[in-house]
Amino acid sequence: MKNVSRHEIQNFADGEIVVREGEETREMFVIRKGEIEVVKLVGGHEVTLAVLPRGAIFGEMALLEGLPRSATARARGATSLVVMRPGSLLLQIRRDPTFAFELMQQMSRRIRELNDKLIFVETAEFSSQLARSTLVDTAASEYQAAESDGDGSES
Amino acid sequence: MNTTIREDRLLIASDIHMGNRLHNPRRRFMDFMHFTIENDYSLCINGDGIDIQQLALSQLTGDLTACMPLFGRFAKTGRQVYFTVGNHDIVLEHFLSDLGRMKVVPFLNVESGDQRIRVEHGHMYDDMFLRFPLTYSVFTFIGRLAIGVSPTFYDWVHELNLRIIAFAEFLFSGFKTKAKTNGNSPREVIKDERGCFRQGAEDVGIRGFDSVIFGHTHTHGVVQLDSGTRYYNTGGWFSNPHCVAIDRGRLWFGPIDSLFAEGDPFPVDPDSDSSDRQPGMDDTP
Repeated sequence: MKNVSRHEIQNFADGEIVVREGEETREMFVIRKGEIEVVKLVGGHEVTLAVLPRGAIFGEMALLEGLPRSATARARGATSLVVMRPGSLLLQIRRDPTFAFELMQQMSRRIRELNDKLIFVETAEFSSQLARSTLVDTAASEYQAAESDGDGSES
Repeated sequence: MNTTIREDRLLIASDIHMGNRLHNPRRRFMDFMHFTIENDYSLCINGDGIDIQQLALSQLTGDLTACMPLFGRFAKTGRQVYFTVGNHDIVLEHFLSDLGRMKVVPFLNVESGDQRIRVEHGHMYDDMFLRFPLTYSVFTFIGRLAIGVSPTFYDWVHELNLRIIAFAEFLFSGFKTKAKTNGNSPREVIKDERGCFRQGAEDVGIRGFDSVIFGHTHTHGVVQLDSGTRYYNTGGWFSNPHCVAIDRGRLWFGPIDSLFAEGDPFPVDPDSDSSDRQPGMDDTP
C-alpha cells in the first residue's frame, strides 16, 4: 500500500483476490491500471459476472450500505486500485465532483439494466402463462370436438 | 447523458469566449473549424465557447450565424462536435443542446487507442469559484463594466483581480502561497496558474486517466503529475490559443497558429481504409 498525491493506492498481482464474497470489509475501489474480474459462487460453481476495465468503480454497495460483499473481485493482470473509505469518499467528492456524477451514472445504469431484466422475466413468465393457457384451451376445444364427434358417431 | 466517448481523432480547444467585446475570435475560430473538418477530426470546445457573462449580443449573433453552417458540416462528415460546459456558458447548456448540432456534456472521458483522457473545463477546481462564488461573480461583473470602458481598463482591473486572489490565497494557505503555486516549487505547475488546478487534475487523473485536459485559466502549458498522468491546459483565445490533437491515443499539444502554419501533426493517409474509423459517442443511454 502507498500514497500518491493524498490517495491510498493498493497494487495486486494477476489472480490476487481484492475482496471475497461474504466478507465484511467497507472499502470501495477505483481501477487505475489493469482489470478486475467479478465472480460469484452459484450452486458450487464460479460464475463470472463482469470484467471491469480501467476507470471503473466497484465495492460501493458495501461502503454505502455496510452489507457483506455480494461477490468476489479478483485482479486480472497487474492491477492498481485507488482505495476509498467513507471519509475519503466524501473528500474525493468534494475535490472531484465529477466522481460523484460518474458513481451515480454507474448506479443509474445498473438500475436500468435490472429493470430490463425484470421486464424480460415478467414477459417470459407472461408468455409461458399465455402458452400454457392456450395449450389448455386448445386441448379443451380438441377434447370437446372429439367428444362431440364421438357423440355424433354414436347417434 | 453520455460522458464516455470513443474517438480516434479529436481536436480540443477552450475559452474561445465568442461574444466577448474584448476580442473577435470569429475568423480564427472559423479557420480552426475548417482545419478540423478538412483533416477529419471531431471537435471538442472545452468550455467558455460562448461568453454569456461578458456579452455583446450583436457580436455573438454575428459569430454564431457565421459558425452554425460549419457545425452542420460536421454531421455530414460523420464527425461530432462536443461542448463541455464552462462557467461563462453554463446557462446556455440546454439551449446549445437543443440546437442539435453538438453534444453538450459537463465533462468527457475520451477513449482513444489505449489512452483514457479526461476533458473538462476545470472551473470546478478553482478555489475562488467554489469558496467565494459571490466575490467571483462581483469580479466578473466589474470585468464586464471595465470592458465597456476600454480594453486597457479591463486589463488593469484583471491584473488587480489576480493580485487580490493571490493575496487571499496567501492568507488562507497560512502564508505559503508561493510554495504552492510558483514555477520554482518542487511540484511543477503551469506558469502563472494557481496550484488548485494541478491538484484538481491530480484528483481526477488518479482514477485511471493517462491525461487530463483543462481550460478556464487562460494559461497554456503541460506538466507531469505525481500519479503519472499528464496535465494539459489549452489556454484562452485572447492571446496565443493552444489546442490538443488526439489521434488513436497519440497526443499533440501546441499553438493553434502553428497548427495552421505547419499542418496536421497526424496526417491521414489517403490510402488508408476509412472503415477503421471508430464510433463516436457511446450510444448507451
